[in-house]
Amino acid sequence: MPTPLAETLTQLRVGNQKFLIDFYQRSRHLFARWAQRQHRLPAAQAHELLQDTLLDFYDQVADGRITKMPEDLRAFIYGMAQQRLAAQVPAHVPLPAAEAQRRQRLLAQFNQLGADCQQVLTYFYFHGYQFEKMGVKMGFPNATVARRQKGSCLRKLYELVRGGYDATWGAGTADNEG
Amino acid sequence: MDLRPYFDDLERFADGQMSPAEQEAFELRLEQDEDLAEAHAAYEQLTADLRWAAGHDTLRLRLQSLDERMNERGTALDRAQHLARRRQRRLVVLAGLAGLLLLAAGVAAWYFSRPNRALPARSWEAYYQPDPGPAVTTTLLTKNPLLAEALDQYQSGHYPAALHSLGRVSPTTVGADTLLYLRGLMLLRQGQGNAAQLYLRRVEAEGGSGELARRARYHLGMAYWQAQELAPALQELRAVAADSLNPYRAPARRAVAAGVLEAR
Repeated sequence: MPTPLAETLTQLRVGNQKFLIDFYQRSRHLFARWAQRQHRLPAAQAHELLQDTLLDFYDQVADGRITKMPEDLRAFIYGMAQQRLAAQVPAHVPLPAAEAQRRQRLLAQFNQLGADCQQVLTYFYFHGYQFEKMGVKMGFPNATVARRQKGSCLRKLYELVRGGYDATWGAGTADNEG
Repeated sequence: MDLRPYFDDLERFADGQMSPAEQEAFELRLEQDEDLAEAHAAYEQLTADLRWAAGHDTLRLRLQSLDERMNERGTALDRAQHLARRRQRRLVVLAGLAGLLLLAAGVAAWYFSRPNRALPARSWEAYYQPDPGPAVTTTLLTKNPLLAEALDQYQSGHYPAALHSLGRVSPTTVGADTLLYLRGLMLLRQGQGNAAQLYLRRVEAEGGSGELARRARYHLGMAYWQAQELAPALQELRAVAADSLNPYRAPARRAVAAGVLEAR
């Protein structure tokens, strides 16, 4: 039984991305044909454009810029893709949005972390796993180790964030920026 | 705002790791301590951004992975289709070749088995009506066994043996012209047209207008033909064809009418 559209939006906000994955799987071929016909875009580039557009859509849902599921989602996504092309946004760079710079910086710093730390923080902050479950998933001996690992990774990320502030604003003013 | 001095407390509070008393005390401090409240807000923003970043990155990786899987599947499908198409093309080519072979075999069979009406036969044998010679009767066996033996061998197709037996027949018991005629026939059948001409010509010359001379003329014509002497062959056969008393008139006419001798 298909999930109602309003519920889909809520699911996306709490991290259930299956809807977008399914959409990509269903629409990739048709989207590539459309992009080829309308914008003479090769298939590989069209696939990247659809991925970036879906990431944009997810971001807008996550930060509340989209509060109501569009009635014609396909037309909406194609419209977003068209806007990306018109604005000549390079691949993998989202559209300008409020707080986008800060988030993009954090995303870059998140990607600087080791693979284990990224996984631990994703399990805890994105999937909402408890320490016990996270410990099992990561192969830690118990929940306490999982909690310490998460704390350590969060501190590493914070140090990277602070490093970014220091580099941007200078060490003397970093504290005042908060 | 440096969160480090507050990090442990903020993390324990946010992760629900405090006891109820600790939590109550922390909440009270949040209301009273502005720096702590500011640090708490910054911490909340950090974890909210982290939640977004983790979600964004997860979606990006999932989409990339799905894209790679779909590309691989597409490539595999393309390869399978390509192989199937190649197999199909090979089958079509093989079927075409088999069809062509069958057609060629059919045409060849028709060509070699069709009656050739367009071109007349060119070999002398196609027009030759052989003379089996006198029948070997009991009387002949009794009266002239050597001749009977020669005739029997001739009629059986043993021409060298027949010639040898004929050589032993005394000319006094059989007419000389008959012996000459039979020798000419046997040599002709043996394929020695040149040699046969000598005997048959003598019979024709010496026999005048007798039955044997008439017969000899026809066989002489055929002996010329066998020896590839077409002009005298045509001349002799025309004479036979014109001779109403010649028993070989009909086959001679056929040979002349075919025009094979003239054309060559």
